[in-house]
Amino acid sequence: MTDFQDTGERRRTSDAPLLITELIDEETVQSIAQEAWSALIGDDEFLVPLPGGLPEDAVSSWVEVVGPWTGAVVLTCGRATAEELSRCLLAEHAPPVLDAEDVADGMGELANVVGGNVKAVLPGPSVLGLPEVGAAPEAGVDALRVDLLWRGQSLTITVQGSAGALTDQQNNPQKNEVPL
Amino acid sequence: MKILVADDSRVMRQIVIRTLRQAGYDDHDIVEAEDGADALAKVGSEKPDLVLSDWNMPNMTGIECLQALRASGSAVPFGFVTSEGSPDMREKAASAGALFLIAKPFTEDTFKEHLDGVIA
Repeated sequence: MTDFQDTGERRRTSDAPLLITELIDEETVQSIAQEAWSALIGDDEFLVPLPGGLPEDAVSSWVEVVGPWTGAVVLTCGRATAEELSRCLLAEHAPPVLDAEDVADGMGELANVVGGNVKAVLPGPSVLGLPEVGAAPEAGVDALRVDLLWRGQSLTITVQGSAGALTDQQNNPQKNEVPL
Repeated sequence: MKILVADDSRVMRQIVIRTLRQAGYDDHDIVEAEDGADALAKVGSEKPDLVLSDWNMPNMTGIECLQALRASGSAVPFGFVTSEGSPDMREKAASAGALFLIAKPFTEDTFKEHLDGVIA
């Protein structure tokens, strides 16, 4: 009979938090987003992997993923870009002047579709939350950021662990004014 | 034929309705529901021939709506259109009595593939 020495190695390994950069890479996130753009925005709509710098009035939409890895998939772009995206989503049903609810709805759905497909790549079982829209939550250390350009306008997708600022955001409802 | 489209996003309901038309199902009546509870009520009042429902919705989720329908004896054909298409969710959907699960993002071809046998 072999004596079992508990070195703590297995326990430490299994207890180690899952880091997003070990679970998914930038190319996969970009590919998921591109598929969503092609299907929802238009066949000829491309996301180019180039950083462009976000404007001051940037807005974010996100969905939370709760499971072996817990965090959020956050989509951030300028307000004008968000309006243009929502107009594309609504197509012929877009009113002459979009109201804030339409833009929040459109941005939320994009985050929902991208987030749902990111969740499918992550270890499960996990649960997807409802989309939320508001000021950009700050990413913590456990984050994967993908900088993209759509029609020359900046757009970022961040897959970020819950140890970051999302918890702070939830404690400060003023930052998240448009829950969907 | 009457189709009930349930999604808490108005934008996504419009996209689903547009995709139905692009897929060639353009001569059917469409009824919209804002969540699972609304869908459950409208199955009773509108008597749709098919329900296309999101999964994650406030008030009542799509799977809760389907379970409530089946518990009440309704056999209305029911399919999911949702951003999550994991094997686990497909199994849950099938077990509850859903005919199919279309994962977002979808195309008109995806709709044809799943709906050709369902919509006459």
